[in-house]
Amino acid sequence: MIPDDLKNNLIEQIAAVDHPREKAMDVVFTLQDRFGYLSDELLEDAASLLGMTPLEVEEIATFYEFIYRKPVGKFVIHICDGVVCLMQEYPSILDYLRKKLDIDYGQTTADGRFTLLPTCCIGYCDRAPAMMINRKVYGKLTPERIDEILEGLER
Amino acid sequence: MPKLIIDGRKIEVDPGVKVIAAAEQAGIMIPRFCYHPALGSAGACRMCAVKFLEGPVHGIQMSCMVEARDGMMISSTDDEAVDFRRFIIELLMLNHPHDCPVCDEGGHCLLQDETISGGHAVRRYMGKKRTHRDQYLGELVQHEMNRCIQCYRCKRFYQDFCGYRDFGVMGIAGRTYFGRYSDGPLENPFSGNIIDICPTGVLTDKPARFKGRRWDFQRAPSLCIHCSLGCHTVVSARYRELIRVEARYCEAINGHFICDRGRFGFAFANHPKRPRQARIQGNSESYENALRIAADRLNSISRSAGPDAIACAASSRSSVETQFSLKFTARALGWQHPVFFMDRLQQDKVAAAVGRLNPDLAISLSDVEHADVILVLGADPIREAPMLALSMRQARRTGAKIAVLGPRPVSLPFDYTHWPMSPGDMDSALKKLLSTAFLETAEGLTETNIKPETAADSRKDPDAPEALAAMLQNSQRPVIVCGTDIVDLYLVTAAAELARYLHAENKRAGLFYVLPCANSSGAVIASAGGKSFSELLCSIENGNIKALLLVEMDPLYQFPDPERVKNALRTLELLIVMDYLPNRTIGYISETPSLSNPSALKQIIFPTLTLFETHAGFINQECRLQRSTPVHAGGMPLSQLTGGSHPPRQFPCDIPGADAKAAWQVLSDLEAAILSTPPAPGSFHELWSRIGSELGIENRAEIPDDLRIFPKNIQPEPGSAGSSPETAGNSQWNSLKADSCYGTEELSTYSPILGRAESALAKKAE
Amino acid sequence: MTAQVLFQNRHPDRIASIEEYCASGGYEALAAALGKFSRPQVQQLALDAVLLGRGGAGFPAGRKWMTVSENAPFPRYIVCNADEMEPGTFKDRVLIHTDPHQIIEGMIIVGYSILAEKGIVFIRSSYESAARILEREIARAKEAGFLGENILGSGFSMEITVHRSTGRYICGENTAQINAIEGKRANPVQPPPYPTEKGIWDLPTVTHNVETLACVPHILRHGPEWFRNLAATSTGAGTKLYCVSGRVKRPGCVELPMGIRLSRIIEDHAGGLPEGCQYKASLPGGASTRFLPKSFYDIEMDFDAMKTAGHRLGTGSIIVFDQKTCLVAATLNMIEFFARESCGWCTPCREGLPYVRDILARIEAGEGKEEFIPLLRRMSKYLCNSYCALAPGAASPVESLLTYFEDEVREHISQRRCPFK
Repeated sequence: MIPDDLKNNLIEQIAAVDHPREKAMDVVFTLQDRFGYLSDELLEDAASLLGMTPLEVEEIATFYEFIYRKPVGKFVIHICDGVVCLMQEYPSILDYLRKKLDIDYGQTTADGRFTLLPTCCIGYCDRAPAMMINRKVYGKLTPERIDEILEGLER
Repeated sequence: MPKLIIDGRKIEVDPGVKVIAAAEQAGIMIPRFCYHPALGSAGACRMCAVKFLEGPVHGIQMSCMVEARDGMMISSTDDEAVDFRRFIIELLMLNHPHDCPVCDEGGHCLLQDETISGGHAVRRYMGKKRTHRDQYLGELVQHEMNRCIQCYRCKRFYQDFCGYRDFGVMGIAGRTYFGRYSDGPLENPFSGNIIDICPTGVLTDKPARFKGRRWDFQRAPSLCIHCSLGCHTVVSARYRELIRVEARYCEAINGHFICDRGRFGFAFANHPKRPRQARIQGNSESYENALRIAADRLNSISRSAGPDAIACAASSRSSVETQFSLKFTARALGWQHPVFFMDRLQQDKVAAAVGRLNPDLAISLSDVEHADVILVLGADPIREAPMLALSMRQARRTGAKIAVLGPRPVSLPFDYTHWPMSPGDMDSALKKLLSTAFLETAEGLTETNIKPETAADSRKDPDAPEALAAMLQNSQRPVIVCGTDIVDLYLVTAAAELARYLHAENKRAGLFYVLPCANSSGAVIASAGGKSFSELLCSIENGNIKALLLVEMDPLYQFPDPERVKNALRTLELLIVMDYLPNRTIGYISETPSLSNPSALKQIIFPTLTLFETHAGFINQECRLQRSTPVHAGGMPLSQLTGGSHPPRQFPCDIPGADAKAAWQVLSDLEAAILSTPPAPGSFHELWSRIGSELGIENRAEIPDDLRIFPKNIQPEPGSAGSSPETAGNSQWNSLKADSCYGTEELSTYSPILGRAESALAKKAE
Repeated sequence: MTAQVLFQNRHPDRIASIEEYCASGGYEALAAALGKFSRPQVQQLALDAVLLGRGGAGFPAGRKWMTVSENAPFPRYIVCNADEMEPGTFKDRVLIHTDPHQIIEGMIIVGYSILAEKGIVFIRSSYESAARILEREIARAKEAGFLGENILGSGFSMEITVHRSTGRYICGENTAQINAIEGKRANPVQPPPYPTEKGIWDLPTVTHNVETLACVPHILRHGPEWFRNLAATSTGAGTKLYCVSGRVKRPGCVELPMGIRLSRIIEDHAGGLPEGCQYKASLPGGASTRFLPKSFYDIEMDFDAMKTAGHRLGTGSIIVFDQKTCLVAATLNMIEFFARESCGWCTPCREGLPYVRDILARIEAGEGKEEFIPLLRRMSKYLCNSYCALAPGAASPVESLLTYFEDEVREHISQRRCPFK
């Protein structure tokens, strides 16, 4: 269930636009940011707030990359697998992360902290190889830097 | 008018027509998967590629995406175009499973056809085929997503064309998935059309699943008789069993589609309890014996009590042939004039409606799509004439304004204004509308059917008449849709008057009545002001009637007080039932032991044919006369004889259960038996020459597509309506329970599939 | 150092403030547009300046505004396309992080020229920091009276909101982006009608790339002739933000005259290739452009010049490959990307790209066959008959790989392994 304060906030946002649908992605994003992923229940709640059917929300939720319809870890790591990062050896960075976290693409660590996903070029080609953690970008990755970054998250 | 050349054929088309449609007009069928005339262009499949050789566009282009323009020279057979289309087929077959042997679409699959014709035979792609999980989509449509080629036709039909929002497209790229949010029945009462339009076997007819190949079937063009619209269908039968109904294109009426009631409601024709043999007092009898006994009994009653002690009734679901031959027989034998309607008011309303239609005002269903304003008076389209809702939606999509007046909340898949009004309020609103907004027009018309009068203000919505008047006056192509069920007689006439006024104001106004049944028009013409069943019932109760013929008419279903009917039937000496349905009177009589006494009521049953087994004419709500073609000879379905074992184990010489004859034939034989004359050979044509003279048309064995019959002088006497105390009153409108979507129309009640679909939807709505 | 226009306020460590921007002449153009010029004049200035869309298509900006008819319905929309997802491209990110107000000013001026009261910045969600910068600076512009009701007393009102994309490459396509903004699946829609006639909610919508909008205030302030003269070629106009990445010493984004030679960009402004690396090829405008082999090393990086040479400038994002980089692997990587990002609408893209990927992967893995080469050729040709420009873009590296580096592909096949591993 969406808490009342958040719900009212969303209702307000939706009411402010001429076409509630315009707010669909914002509502979904907001819910996801709050609850980690878009569960069926949240999707259905979002649909009713937006005056859409669950199918209509699912149609867009499954289209876009950054909507998670399955549980993800507290930190979602997106490895840039663009061509520039390829030249800067992103596969070795990926291997390092795989071993360090003991997960593969699409998996979440047993402690529920990390999910590993690929993403297309994130536009940090001047600082390749790069990755995003919860949509914050980290460039010029090396194993040492990854250790630092992940430790930084722990704090 | 652009002139262009396609494959060497010169053609001139209307501006805005796409090349693919232009080619079709020239008789050239360019391959396609996503393009559909009713759904328009999508440009998704890229199968309709042609080469533009000369003119404003050059090279390989999709013929569905380019408008035909002057000076174009186009080749659909150019090597490059053919090679490109072959490439597309190869791509579509990358993931399409090779399960044609177990796919119901096999044999009439567009993808199969194009794969063969494109010559794609060797799979070069070495990757895996992607797979999906299928969904349960309810009782009507089978889902098999692995076969999908992503033409988006189903989604475009379901959401854009119909306006329902529970089925669509999910995922992206190679994972694009067509289905619902979760398993469950499709909520769209037109969902079956996605079976027809799916170019391959993703969406197939679930009840017909695994029952045969297209080439196994006996198929014929037919009609839908589940409401008064008369949509065109194609019906498939196999082993004496009706298997499947599909939409048949009809430009004037249903276009490419039909509703689910029409598609899945045919179970009555296969019904296990359908009368297959003549019966007397519940015992099987040969047709000839039954005929002889019936004739003897009728003769003796006629002698003892007079021929007018014999009454007969047909219904609005009977064919024109049946209705009129009953009328002719009754006339020849001096029986009471047949009744066709349950009560006087209903009959008068239908008569008023049919009598008011004329070539200027009567419009076809497809004309509704072009309206800019639609005013619905007391009709519930989805339930009374489902395809009307779909046509109204098309009008709405192009900007039409739609107002619905009526007591019931109606459910329509588009935006409209609902003015909640009782029938009385509707009358007042219309009176006011006619007398104020259109007063001048009314005065300008020499002959008015209704005198404008000063009406009381509409009780609930005093503003309604003004709002409606403004809406109508700003329209160019207004359509007045009027129901004949819950409304008063006045409203039926007022609707016509309103349409007439609008027409007089130089608008392309249309009048569209929704009638109770498939052949209500035929019934009211045949009835010609005769009595109704409720009046007949009084005569039976008064002891004036000794024998009753029920010809494809079931008063125990249709009459609001079945107990009264049962009591009345008990007083008869003879009840003859001719029907293709397990008429409820049959069950009632045979299950009442006291009546098995031979000295008491005698019941004789003659099985008749459905429209799928004979030529049967029906006159729809716009007075269009249409005729079905027999699909098969009929008889007991093999599946019922053998308990479904396959192949058949019994090989009798005759066709089991094939005693049934068309009702008009039974009547003709009965008449001959009574008069002791030999039956007339070639009598179908003779029958039609007599019907033709009644209808004011030439004797025609072939009915042209656009024949509409506008009868004269069938309007009820002013003031006659509703005065009869036994009418199943319209005043009870507020206690009416809303009809269910599929199930309350008589024929559909025999369809267990629709029953299950209905209850699934009802459960969902709770 | 060449003329710095868009990067005039570039600092290595911080974003230019609104004060800084104003001090450098910022928002003067807006005042002029609202005061001195008529709306048709503003449009004509852009047309005279030959301002071509910087998102890759190179459509004349002024002409786009002129297609919004005077009696078109309201509200009208001006959209800033900051959905920068072309692999190798990051100029918009740098520009937003450098001097965001010129983008905002550009949006307001274009908005005014078509009387659009609704401005939307459509930005990819991976650019969260850029989105926040824009939100903050839009608020500042509003405080300063450049946005909101009755801007600078002109009677013209406009709001700008930032719309975060939930992420898909196809959202960068104009019509797909409109669907995305409406909260629908971002499938492209083939015109007509053009978005300038029926865009967001069927209302007139003008969409421009971030860089295009940023050029607008400068054109109004200095005039079209000045703008045209910024270019190195006679066909080009203005400066261009070139991104350089891949095998160069100093990857980054630089502002240079439109039409500057590729060799100059790489050698003078990106430090050349690292020691021991030789130029083999580059992609001049992201993953959806053709490989430029050594023979094009001196090509003028301008829409027209590239077109004449049979290439496409695209976003002007140069990815440099050296002799040690496997171009089959690089192409495979890009096709992976395109196949993943296909919206699923049309057959060539949805089914064809995974097919190409499968073949390239086999070649790269040493399982290639001779017949793959004509198969790839045929496919890259036919990918161009798809619904939108995604698949033709995807076909570019494949087709040019076969055109210029067929030997390298054949080596993979004949050696039954990737020769670079």
